[in-house]
Amino acid sequence: MILLEETFIEIECCQRIKTGESVCGDDFRSIRLDDESRCISVLSDGLGSGIKDSLMASMTTSMVLRFVSRDMEIIPSAEIIMDTLPVCEVRKISYATFTVADILANDRVRIIEMDNPPYIHLRDGEDVQWEKQTVFSAAWPDRKLNLSKFKAVPGDRIIFFSDGVTQAGLGHSIAKFGWKRQGCLEFVQNIIKREPNISARDLSHSIVAQACTKNPGFSCIDDISCTVIYFRKPRHIRLLTGPPFRNDKDRDFAKTVLDFNGRSVICGGTTAGIVGRELNREVRTDLRLRGGGLPPISTMKGIDLVTEGILTLTETDRQLELDNRQQSAPLAAAKLIELLQESDVIEFIAGTRVNEAHQDPSLPVDLEIRRNIIKRLKTVLENKYMKKVTIKYY
Amino acid sequence: MTKKKVKVEICVGTTCFLLGASKLQEMERFLPPDLTGRVEVQGTACLGCCRNDNFGSAPFVKVDDTDVIANATLEKVINRVRRSLNL
Repeated sequence: MILLEETFIEIECCQRIKTGESVCGDDFRSIRLDDESRCISVLSDGLGSGIKDSLMASMTTSMVLRFVSRDMEIIPSAEIIMDTLPVCEVRKISYATFTVADILANDRVRIIEMDNPPYIHLRDGEDVQWEKQTVFSAAWPDRKLNLSKFKAVPGDRIIFFSDGVTQAGLGHSIAKFGWKRQGCLEFVQNIIKREPNISARDLSHSIVAQACTKNPGFSCIDDISCTVIYFRKPRHIRLLTGPPFRNDKDRDFAKTVLDFNGRSVICGGTTAGIVGRELNREVRTDLRLRGGGLPPISTMKGIDLVTEGILTLTETDRQLELDNRQQSAPLAAAKLIELLQESDVIEFIAGTRVNEAHQDPSLPVDLEIRRNIIKRLKTVLENKYMKKVTIKYY
Repeated sequence: MTKKKVKVEICVGTTCFLLGASKLQEMERFLPPDLTGRVEVQGTACLGCCRNDNFGSAPFVKVDDTDVIANATLEKVINRVRRSLNL
């Protein structure tokens, strides 16, 4: 997820591997060039499936990202890609398709497509068709490149996919000629009608899941990838944890949850006590809302989530750092992860007073200093989840 | 007539949770038959006792809004509840 000035650009790609293969033959990469307020995303589909396909697709995405970020001319770039890709022994051609979304400052968008299904640009539920300029290289006249340019506005979505989406169900009874772009478009339009604010993450997952339903036995007859880029206003969350270093700051600290246009979370029993006391709000701890070895969740008027501090934050960080999170997290951490993932801009308001009881050698586990956990959370949320994160110490 | 219930608040702050409150929060399941329905078990955010040596050590349990039991065990809490109920 990338924040470019006032619009927040959520980018998400959902992928499924062709049934029977161990790697995905489509590759998706995205980079952010902060100094240029620019973000480039590429989806490539290599020829065939499995390792060979995967290699071609990843070579293509790396080259495209490099060429586009350095503003190289597109035709020579495409020629280099064609000349570089290994030639398939069976088909005697080198082949990989790609779609590039180059998002520049002020939400100006440039789309470059080569042989992937045409992208969808949805604005107010309508499929906007921009004029496309077709160019090709003299050396590779069959490989046509389609270029289009437009300015995105808040609420816009750009959707592009590999042919695993458009050809889903090909040759089978439900969709003999495949789902096609039109089928996918209608599906997306219906979803957006029901859920106008659906995230890029949920939408890309829904499209891929729906494509699978077209295939026999919900299988993947090809690698399936779908990228959704959603231009929207950023969602903010403020997380208070730890008592302020000086008691006379308690009131200022507690008041940070007031007049805040976003969600609020409190992680810490003492912290919740301070906010409750200063704002005259009751903290209720429901022992039924526990699980997974973490203390139970509490509730407070106007606060979206109230949890215990160090243990919950440590578990949340551990879960977020896992590469393949399959096991469900303990209740309090799961709730916190959900809120963090749904947000774009995360503000940690961290009190720095150390609870001496946490250093008691008789404790069965080592408790970390809050400041270190928050720093780790910031790193993982920024680097792995592309959030904008700030920390303010109190 | 409704019988009197004793309010038991278990501190589920970090220190208390690690030193025994994680087990105490299940105490309703282990109450003797004569106390069934006579105890209202609740959780509470950190009572702040762990930062003050005068209170003793965690876990802490508050009974009847006033009395704080340090180093609380199921047995200690049950005894205190019985005293409140004059049993």
